[in-house]
Amino acid sequence: MALLEITNLSKFFGGVKAVDDFNYTLDSGHLHAIIGPNGAGKTTIFNLITGIYPPTQGKIFFDGQEITNLPPHVIAQKGIARTFQNIRLFPDFSVLDNVRTACHQQANYSVLEGLFPTPRRARQEKELTERAYNLLELVGLANRAKERAKNLPYGHQRRLEIARALALQPRLLLLDEPAAGMNPDETEKLMDFIEEIKEKFNLTILLIEHHMEVVMGLCDDIVVIDFGKKIAQGTPEQIQSDETVIQAYLGAGEEL
Amino acid sequence: MILQQIVNGISIGAVYALIAVGYSLVYSVLNFSNFAHGDVLMLGAYIGFFSLMLLKVPFPLAIAMAMVGAGIIAMIIEKIAYRPLRLRRAPLLYFMISAMGMSIFLQNFTIVTIGPNFRTYPDIFPVKPFAVGNLSIGRLDLVILIATVIVLLLLTWLVYKTRIGIAIQAAAYNMRVASLMGINPDLIATLVFLLAGASAGIGGVLFGMKYTVYPWMGVLTIKAFVAAVVGGLGSLPGAVVGAFVLGITETFAAAYISSAFRDLFSYLLMTIIIVARPAGLMGTVAQEKA
Repeated sequence: MALLEITNLSKFFGGVKAVDDFNYTLDSGHLHAIIGPNGAGKTTIFNLITGIYPPTQGKIFFDGQEITNLPPHVIAQKGIARTFQNIRLFPDFSVLDNVRTACHQQANYSVLEGLFPTPRRARQEKELTERAYNLLELVGLANRAKERAKNLPYGHQRRLEIARALALQPRLLLLDEPAAGMNPDETEKLMDFIEEIKEKFNLTILLIEHHMEVVMGLCDDIVVIDFGKKIAQGTPEQIQSDETVIQAYLGAGEEL
Repeated sequence: MILQQIVNGISIGAVYALIAVGYSLVYSVLNFSNFAHGDVLMLGAYIGFFSLMLLKVPFPLAIAMAMVGAGIIAMIIEKIAYRPLRLRRAPLLYFMISAMGMSIFLQNFTIVTIGPNFRTYPDIFPVKPFAVGNLSIGRLDLVILIATVIVLLLLTWLVYKTRIGIAIQAAAYNMRVASLMGINPDLIATLVFLLAGASAGIGGVLFGMKYTVYPWMGVLTIKAFVAAVVGGLGSLPGAVVGAFVLGITETFAAAYISSAFRDLFSYLLMTIIIVARPAGLMGTVAQEKA
């Protein structure tokens, strides 16, 4: 079943066609990837899905409901979480509080209750903290829960960002270059980790990645874009042998 | 003598602190200076004044009414003057212009409806000061200081210890990232204006008791704005530190140089601090935004 459906999506910045008539259907329960040369419009697609930009044209449906033009926090609450190409943690927050910021919508006490301690609030507060700890446990950061996020090493910050995204209890997780800046060893661990959370939380994952070993090794469906347009879609094998892709990526007649 | 000046300076600084935190709170989340903040304070002062004079409520209740009233007024201002701009992603300059327009509107609205005359709060506390050794401490000054400390502690607890505070801080760091974590920016803006308005409300009552109440008294809060900038705009502890630095500088300049030169010297000092440390005493250098 289609979890995310994008029809005729376009985003123009002045004369620049960052995304141009993009159509895409994403089935639930799979690992999908968007690849393409730098500046092809991959992150713009993420920004359109998560509501950061309104699209110039086109519609986006999540789980059968239209989410085009909804504000980002509503889309997030519907179950789309993301990480960022450049890490966007709250650097002065503790590791735990970074995760807790994303736990908010599970608390259903009112603003007024938020200002005054009530037993219900205390109970929910405790549950959320426990949940945040569990997520930190999962990404292997529970023992650093009290540290400031900015003091974590880079690889751990990436994991923390994923933990924070998972705190939203998403059904669709968008990962923007999760392996950026990682060495092969770290990358391999990350791949296992992505598989693990996908199974554990029953997630559908869409990732942008330049590391081809991640994309080819992990994903069952790959879409290739260039200059904002989809130029190919298929399994890793299909993509690797696709002429247009090879041209877009490598330029005609150049070596790998 | 020096100790006496410090006591006086702290008392003035306390009022500045109450006002400065409102400027800083709004700036930290929405990145613009709400120049209508002083006028919210003015309205708070009037609410307190009329609660005492017409409704004859007890003093603590008058303060509570001023806080609630000013908080609600600030929320309404956000809704009509700033939110439409924010939803349309207007440049920050327009927010300031909208704020100035709001400020002029509120002053003139007050002049037309309540009148331009100066009003004096009744003497709630005996005018005779406490004597502690050689020090004399005004009773009103003591009340101001205690009220300020209570409000600042509450605000600190709220912003740093509650989950709503965590959401406010997240929004202050980066509204866009916070919204992607499911935090509603409109709700945060409403809350921030409610808190800033409420602290301006009590600030207005105390300010009005120390001086007088009149429609353009909000102009005086420009000093508190300066204090917030000196402390590091957007930083709550910075606003408090800046306010006390300004208060003490003012009283020292008045006592040891000349009261006519008071503002000259205190603003000279402020300018020097800003030139030497553009981010303010406790501020951090502007962060990269998503």
